[in-house]
Amino acid sequence: MRSAPYIDRRTFLKLVPAAGLLAACGSKSGAKLRLALNWKPDPEFGGFYAADYAKHGLDVEILPGGAGTPTVQMIGAGSAEFGIVGADEILLARARGNDVVALFAVYQNNPMGIMAHASRKLETIGDVMKSGTLAIQSGLAYARLLQKQFGFDHVKVVPSPGGDLTGFLHDENFAQQCFIMTEPLQARRKGVDVKVFPVSDLGFNPYTTVLATSGDFLRKNPDAVKNMVAAVREGWRSYLDNAAPTNEKMHALNPTMDAATYAEIAEAQKPLIEASTLGKMTAERWDTLAKQLKDLGDIPQAPAADQCFREL
Amino acid sequence: MRKALPAAIPFLVVTLALEWLVRAGFVPAFLVPPPSAVLQTMIHDWPELFAALLKTSAGAVIGFALSAIGGIAFAVFLSSSRAIQRAFYPYAVFFQTVPIIAIAPLLVIWFGYGMRTVVASAFIASIFPVIANTLSGILSTDPALRDLFRLYGATSSATLWKLRIPAAMPQILTGLRIAGGLAVIGAIVGEFLGGQGLGSVVDIARTQQRTDKVFAAVLLASVLGLALFGFINIVSRLALRRWHASEQN
Repeated sequence: MRSAPYIDRRTFLKLVPAAGLLAACGSKSGAKLRLALNWKPDPEFGGFYAADYAKHGLDVEILPGGAGTPTVQMIGAGSAEFGIVGADEILLARARGNDVVALFAVYQNNPMGIMAHASRKLETIGDVMKSGTLAIQSGLAYARLLQKQFGFDHVKVVPSPGGDLTGFLHDENFAQQCFIMTEPLQARRKGVDVKVFPVSDLGFNPYTTVLATSGDFLRKNPDAVKNMVAAVREGWRSYLDNAAPTNEKMHALNPTMDAATYAEIAEAQKPLIEASTLGKMTAERWDTLAKQLKDLGDIPQAPAADQCFREL
Repeated sequence: MRKALPAAIPFLVVTLALEWLVRAGFVPAFLVPPPSAVLQTMIHDWPELFAALLKTSAGAVIGFALSAIGGIAFAVFLSSSRAIQRAFYPYAVFFQTVPIIAIAPLLVIWFGYGMRTVVASAFIASIFPVIANTLSGILSTDPALRDLFRLYGATSSATLWKLRIPAAMPQILTGLRIAGGLAVIGAIVGEFLGGQGLGSVVDIARTQQRTDKVFAAVLLASVLGLALFGFINIVSRLALRRWHASEQN
């Protein structure tokens, strides 16, 4: 047997700092603006990918996220200048001293829902709480609203599997949290007929997929923020008119859904977006949400609505 | 008391420094909670946190015990011949590299929601260091002693039990020390998707942007890791103090 090549101790010790140097080489880029998404590229972010930032003098890098990407903290910490968050997250953040401000609301209506197998013949969202298993993110406000209204004594509550449908497809008595235009479509594709209960039926209707920035960045760079919102608004207009080119771009970044699914979701989400009031928010809606969160005990007091969002 | 003092000093220094950094406004509280807030949460939410700690402990300890037994047995099997080692060792590496968070949804399908998924996750996360360390220990038995056993005509099972495993004890125990911490991590990851316990406390607190509660739960998880570590150290002391330099002072 030939002797194996070996590294003597001195050489090894010399290699260690070299490896450290190599590891330190993941350097940062220049004055780019970063937009942190809270999920992978998909039609929910179509307008952000369609936007022509350069036309508005901006250099924007979109950072795709995943389950649990803490975009609201990233904005507060300055590790992203802009981020996608939910209106309820903004209220929680502000209550914890994280000054985050909403700029543009993509979904005027809450896309969150509970989907169950149609074969169970459930009539209302309350029926879902009467038997079987329910997979939801227990930390979200609507989950506690459900618990308050219906109680969880007769349903087994388990953690949400994110966008994964395996458990749902395997078990007829399994209901799970979903985006009403995304997962139900995928389940139907797999041959399971589903019934969807939108959470907005409960009267819980926070703006979702909201473009936000920190109060600090807004004060220091009002023009950049204004340009960003303008670029995003145009982006969404063009995506609503013609989603195909952007879908192709996003499909390349996130091939887990096929091209046809991109097109279908882009179409299905249109009613939630309401093109006539694209991006706009009202103080009443913020007040309602703040009051709901206060009643649930999530925030100690309802903040003034005009601090939570800025119309640009 | 004198033994605990050296460990208490870094704890106090770091705690006080963190408290000061947050209070002085260098670090916002929503990113790093001040230790005083974590302590308050710990007291206020103690019943919930303690119940979660018990659940996680059960999952981690059972998973750890299974990987200790399974890992040592598998390593003994591997040590029986070069050919077996070549055939099976590469597959043991699978356990080291498997991204537990990625297969956790599958574990839930296979084992259902609850304890079994958590145990499986703790087991997968912690078995590799036991296998690797045990095998390395068994294979590095002093050749002179092996010759001595052969000279006296010892059977291979006698050689295994009387020489190779005892000689490998220091390494086996090192493997178990590493596995203890990994079992806690595995259990918590399992709980993210399939169970109750500290994992779901962390998950919920994170959704609600309660960093203080996240830290309180993480702190309890590390207490659990420390307890496992301490337990193995006691075993190690009992097993090795008569002959191994690492436990004699």
